[in-house]
Amino acid sequence: MTPAGQMLIPALVLLPLLWLLPGAVHGGGLALLLQFWVAALQPSLEPHLLLTALRGIGVTLAIALWSWLLSLLLGFGGGLLSSVAVSQRLWCCSWPALLARRLLALPRSLHELLWGLILLQLMGLQPGVAVLAIALPYGALVARVMADQLDALPVRPIEALSTAGAPAWAALFTAFLPPLWPQVLSYGGYRLECALRSATLLGVFGLGGIGADLRLSLQSLQFHEVWTSLWCLAAVMLLLEWSVRWLQRRWHQPLGCVGQRGLELLLLAVVLGLLLIPSAQLMELRWQELFSSWHWPESLPLWDVAGWMQPWLPLIGTTLLLTLLSALLALAITPWVLLLLCPWNGCRPLLQLLGLLARLLPPPLTALLLLFVLKPGLLPAVLALGLHNAGILGRLLLEGLDAQDQRASEALQLAGAGPRRSLLVAGFNTVARSYLSFGAYRADVILRESVVVGLVGAGGLGVLLLESLSSFAWIEVVPVLVVYAALTLIGEAAADAYRSRLLSGPLPLEGLNPAVGS
Amino acid sequence: MRSLFLVLAVLLAPLSPVLAAQVLRISAIPDQNPERLNRLYGLVAAELGDQLGVQVRYVPVIDYTAAVTGFRRGDLDLVWFGGLTGVQARLQTPGAVVLAQRDVDARFLSVFIANRQALKDLKPFTSIDELSQLKDKRFSFGSESSTSGRLMPQFFLAKAGVEPKDFSGGRPGFSGSHDATIALVQSGAYEAGALNEQVWESRLKEGKVDTSKVVLLWRTPTYPDYHWVAQGNLNKRFGAGFTSKLQQALLNLSPDQPRQAQVLELFGAKKFIEAPVDQYASIESVGRQLGKIR
Repeated sequence: MTPAGQMLIPALVLLPLLWLLPGAVHGGGLALLLQFWVAALQPSLEPHLLLTALRGIGVTLAIALWSWLLSLLLGFGGGLLSSVAVSQRLWCCSWPALLARRLLALPRSLHELLWGLILLQLMGLQPGVAVLAIALPYGALVARVMADQLDALPVRPIEALSTAGAPAWAALFTAFLPPLWPQVLSYGGYRLECALRSATLLGVFGLGGIGADLRLSLQSLQFHEVWTSLWCLAAVMLLLEWSVRWLQRRWHQPLGCVGQRGLELLLLAVVLGLLLIPSAQLMELRWQELFSSWHWPESLPLWDVAGWMQPWLPLIGTTLLLTLLSALLALAITPWVLLLLCPWNGCRPLLQLLGLLARLLPPPLTALLLLFVLKPGLLPAVLALGLHNAGILGRLLLEGLDAQDQRASEALQLAGAGPRRSLLVAGFNTVARSYLSFGAYRADVILRESVVVGLVGAGGLGVLLLESLSSFAWIEVVPVLVVYAALTLIGEAAADAYRSRLLSGPLPLEGLNPAVGS
Repeated sequence: MRSLFLVLAVLLAPLSPVLAAQVLRISAIPDQNPERLNRLYGLVAAELGDQLGVQVRYVPVIDYTAAVTGFRRGDLDLVWFGGLTGVQARLQTPGAVVLAQRDVDARFLSVFIANRQALKDLKPFTSIDELSQLKDKRFSFGSESSTSGRLMPQFFLAKAGVEPKDFSGGRPGFSGSHDATIALVQSGAYEAGALNEQVWESRLKEGKVDTSKVVLLWRTPTYPDYHWVAQGNLNKRFGAGFTSKLQQALLNLSPDQPRQAQVLELFGAKKFIEAPVDQYASIESVGRQLGKIR
């Protein structure tokens, strides 16, 4: 099958979804849903609300900034530790790297929300919890990507340096850092966008920032207030996405004079550094408290057999089904909408706007909205996860299409091919491989994310976990976490296998790569 | 780029006030609209602060579980808990004491409500057995850990032979708060729901319920509910006798004083009274029965 064909295949997921739909629609809250969208045009502009929203956004940004920096530091260190190439240079054997790689898989295997809920139990209600909750899994993820990249670099330069008598560390830095640098910059920028989304989501679960305002005002059906927060969040998210993109483009091009890029980098580092202190104060981050008073629950019967007696098969089955359906939906939406609407000029702006909205609303909130018209169950959860991730994948697809050489499609159109045909042949065929491979990465993320829609009774492990947590049943919480972690590690391996079949080789970190992680 | 940093700088500018060493942190389960809670507990904090001469700060939490966790962890000193969350919190926090409840809390009750249009055939009833009519309906509780919005309604439903899996979609919804339950049932998003009777009555009085759309189905029998729970170490932290001073301050709230009257009105109570601890044994046993206390 042509690559473009493979891009369109996931749409088969619509068949089971459409089959489920008639039984799930109730439409009772259609008026509410309309009110929600109408309210988008009239966000509440009351001063104290705006102030609350700005403060919430500030805290969310502060959490994102701190956790992002921390995860880059952790990831950089972890990446060096788990790179076989580095290990061989330093210790002349590769097992330390392989061991580090295994160990780093553990923090990565749990979604940041789960980290947040666990750390909340250990450390209490404080904003540092959100920072650590994002930094730990992100750090492990960055470490893995770093290590993959390091190991894929050509070894000739470093061998030459070593032969010439350079010490191991110096040789490593000289040979590995420069070729890695642009990729680190590019990937790092995307991680910041991911951190902003994660910080918003953690807020929805009460870990600080604007997410809490969003959830509370949505739950109390104050739609005008919801939109005050949403528009603020949209502005910040767009601004961040644009400036990251702008910086990446700028630093990928050769700049005017020597040293300019370094100067700009230094400037950026200084500005970010200056933001750290006020942002820590804004979210009332108190490191000493964070680490001084860890507090385990009074009784923690971790290895009690009773907690392990769960109907694992249906639980895992539902979780996997939810993941599979959402991932396929996320993959299918954008290519199909593009294909159907592409003769119309407004198609791309429309998709960009819808994509922004999809990325903006954390999946549990989308799910709450969907419950106005759908019965609780699998379908609203699939739609919520699928739409959110379609927003992320769709943006990558649009950017990938924009970035490619336009001449092929122009030539096709001149030769008389319609816009659809030229989009298929010239557009989709070129980006399909990377789009699908990000889809695989994303499926992996969705598996982790499936816990966050437990809120709408989608079933699966997420529901059990949230219910156990609200009953303080530690005896159940631990087995669910262990099963979740095992499942995501297997999922990660499967996604990797699929990707390497698609791409045969590690991914380049440029362009279409932000889908790694959240 | 510069504009981004400008915006960031503006956003991050308002620095938080530095915390004094000893602050009494009060909180409450978020059972109503957040703006109402902010108004109410802002007043409570001001009142207690003036009476006790210590700094009092209201810490809003997003859900019931977070309030219990915050209390267990010692991040919250005095919390307005529901029946179930109060029991959960005290079971997990050695030394915690019950300070007071409202005059209405010893004999509290829930109401079941329904959307008039969706359930035309459903009429108000007086016998618990009629709850079985709610089978296969779209039904919403309040919060997962709410006593009047989930625990006791689920208990009474079970007595009438209705399990959570019997609702449409195979499970009930959880609206998150009592106000949300009213709004969702009124809109038709859910056909029926259960909530705190006091919130229902007060919204009726305020004219915030559209009675052409929502109808009261049934009032439950009574049970003990909300209460103030305090940490056991307050005397050590704030000086000898602090806990009893705090308790007196709550018990002495009177409608003669303008600010205290406002507090009482927002609480929907005439006064606070002492709360005998043993009355919550029944809540604990229902909690264990339904798996919310392990």
